[in-house]
Amino acid sequence: MRGAGGAAWAASPFQPRALRASVRCRAGSGLQRRGRLWNRVLSALRAPGAREFQDCGVGLNAAQFKQLLISAVKDLFGEVDAALPLDILTYEEKTLSAILRICSSGLVKLWSSLTLLGSYKGKKCAFRVIQVSPFLLALSGNSRELVLD
Amino acid sequence: MVRFKHRYLLCELVSDDPRCRLSLDDRVLSSLVRDTIARVHGTFGAAACSIGFAVRYLNAYTGIVLLRCRKEFYQLVWSALPFITYLENKGHRYPCFFNTLHVGGTIRTCQKFLIQYNRRQLLILLQNCTDEGEREAIQKSVTRSCLLEEEEESGEEAAEAIE
Repeated sequence: MRGAGGAAWAASPFQPRALRASVRCRAGSGLQRRGRLWNRVLSALRAPGAREFQDCGVGLNAAQFKQLLISAVKDLFGEVDAALPLDILTYEEKTLSAILRICSSGLVKLWSSLTLLGSYKGKKCAFRVIQVSPFLLALSGNSRELVLD
Repeated sequence: MVRFKHRYLLCELVSDDPRCRLSLDDRVLSSLVRDTIARVHGTFGAAACSIGFAVRYLNAYTGIVLLRCRKEFYQLVWSALPFITYLENKGHRYPCFFNTLHVGGTIRTCQKFLIQYNRRQLLILLQNCTDEGEREAIQKSVTRSCLLEEEEESGEEAAEAIE
């Protein structure tokens, strides 16, 4: 899938190589097609600052990030939906961006609770969801130009 | 054609302590169910279920409760009922649980089910009772309920014959 614009791709301002990790949610619908987990990638955050704070200098490690996500879902949808199997596939502390995976029935719930999450420990913050896809491979490439990172 | 449809959940409160049922109050029960839904289904669940929510019938002696909720969200209410583990009244906590007997679209269907259920319960009670006085009392109520049943049936047949 590597096209002629491979070098140009690396230098492209829109897909910086350094920021590979993006918040992607991969969704899998449960047991609908012959028992296979049907994955649907939810979203990939490609731009820096998948999660943005109003003032800088806030550090979160992966565990705290997951705790934040679960508490957001729990606030809005309760304990039952906070127990959905949510995975953080990658996490970058510098840019606060991550790739998430969730089953497709939980996509709407996760996305809406991310949207409505306003603050963390008293500081205002916002989640930006960049890309959603059922395939993890799709998150690492640009399907319009058919180029992989 | 254009109306709000409801679902009526007929539940039975089961507990070891006999004081638990007597301390049932519709406000206490309503707040208990709403808090449980808020805990289990979050803000969304609490808001969705509390619009058409009401406690329609409450019997403190048998522990039968009839809850009403909107048709679109009755499953949220139904799934939150097993998470109720205790009833709190005036500082006393009584462990209990809710058994859902019937889900109906109208109060009338729930009432029909309740009548049949009570008849069956009377027969079970008759088998299990030990005291002679109790046995006579239960036998009297059983015969009375059978007579009422026959009257209902004959009334229905007469109505059909007229038609």
